[in-house]
Amino acid sequence: MKHSYSSADKSRLLRDVIRSLLLHRVWFFIGMQDVKRRYRRSFIGPLWILLNLGVYVGAIGFVYGVMFGQDLKAFLPYLMLGFVTWGLISASIVDAGSVFVSAEGYIKQFSYPKQIYILRAIVSNSMNFAMGLVAVAVVQLFLGTFEFVGWLLAIPGFLLIYIALLGHTTIFAYLGTAFRDLPHALAAVLQVVFYLTPIVVPASVLKSHGMEFVYLVNPIYHLIEVVRHPILNSDLAPLSTYGFVFGYILVVYCVGWYVAWRLDKKVVFLL
Amino acid sequence: MTQNFIRLQNVGVRFTGDMSTDGLIGWLARKRSGVSTPGTYNVEALKDVTIAIEQGERVGLVGLNGAGKSTLLKVMAGIYTPTSGIAESEGHVCPMFEFATGFEMHQTGRDNIRIRGLLLGMTPDEIEAKLPEIEDFTELGEFLAYPVRTYSAGMFIRLAFAVSTSINPEILLIDEVMGAGDLRFANKAKRRMFEFMEQGKILVFSSHNFDLLKSFCARTIWLEKGQIIMDGSTEDVIAKYESSQR
Repeated sequence: MKHSYSSADKSRLLRDVIRSLLLHRVWFFIGMQDVKRRYRRSFIGPLWILLNLGVYVGAIGFVYGVMFGQDLKAFLPYLMLGFVTWGLISASIVDAGSVFVSAEGYIKQFSYPKQIYILRAIVSNSMNFAMGLVAVAVVQLFLGTFEFVGWLLAIPGFLLIYIALLGHTTIFAYLGTAFRDLPHALAAVLQVVFYLTPIVVPASVLKSHGMEFVYLVNPIYHLIEVVRHPILNSDLAPLSTYGFVFGYILVVYCVGWYVAWRLDKKVVFLL
Repeated sequence: MTQNFIRLQNVGVRFTGDMSTDGLIGWLARKRSGVSTPGTYNVEALKDVTIAIEQGERVGLVGLNGAGKSTLLKVMAGIYTPTSGIAESEGHVCPMFEFATGFEMHQTGRDNIRIRGLLLGMTPDEIEAKLPEIEDFTELGEFLAYPVRTYSAGMFIRLAFAVSTSINPEILLIDEVMGAGDLRFANKAKRRMFEFMEQGKILVFSSHNFDLLKSFCARTIWLEKGQIIMDGSTEDVIAKYESSQR
């Protein structure tokens, strides 16, 4: 394989990205090792994911369900889906800042393109999401609201979420390495966004109070909806939601590409 | 069969960055005392380096600490992008730079072998096939099932060394890693290293051990302050280098 490196090289980034995607064995393995590490020496292990979800849904579900006069049969899957999808998205933003920092030992020692560490972070964050989805399906089966068609219609949504994730993780991975204040700022912002996103509160409640704009301009709401809406309603999400997600993807990819293009060669010196 | 090579053309590497790392508190202190800002640093680690290394060559690097040997090797490995000039190479690059970093502290020795193997370009099947042999060479026995945070410095070196030398290198870049482990392991490592270095189609290594350089390399490059002082036969270069240090 021929390599060519120079500061004037315009196509390096594209080559690195393609090469990274082809190295799926490497990033997938290291990502799964991260998951393993998280639960090493823990007695309950990855079952904590389910326990966590159970406690959350058990407590919030009943209190908020009653408070907002929701039918629990519909509210519980809504809450769970919102929570696990939020978990994936927020983890991808919060952890992004440390993607390169925590891989310093690898980056300074091995020649593989850095983008594999972005993909690795997405893999290691996906475990919670996958187990959460299984839990949702189980709860739906139990409640008798499981619809296979709905899950099928959510597939484009899953794809869109992951495409978007790759985009904003890239942005925050590079920026977080250069500006070490950013991860802390993002964590603070996300805490607020959590309450502004219809996850615990049903969107209909906000709508009835004339607060629709709060979530309609929130990209995370739309990212959640492309998965949540089809699964709960066995129907595709509103076209505007897909439009919004496409727009978001377009923006994060343009910004992501620019940021990576500016910082890719500098990252190793910033570690 | 493609020919392996490394070619650097007028390569320069410049490190720049912010001197202050003490954040808000330091900034306030400086504001109050009226001391000017510490500014930025600007280090030229390599200056106008042009080298061509062709298939079959073994090249040594000599120079004082901070002369740019490690930077040069990292440029060849594609880890540092030159800030000026062009670096090109053909062939699978195997870097052997640091044996004490790049571990997942909470994972077992065995899992760390797998990760390192993957990062060095081995396929999972290859790793599993070579695993017994690698494990055997480390002599770590039951410790391979322990998280590596329990390892001593020497044990890290054994592990990393065993993995790195188990691959089939085309371009082998070695940064001063000969003093590996305790006496027994060092002797064993030396033999293995020699075999390994024989395999590489191109070998570039930095060393302060002149005997080693003389026995391995026909050609040696002498670096000083990021520039090539001399590039020629090992005998000549080392003779000049030695006399200059007196």
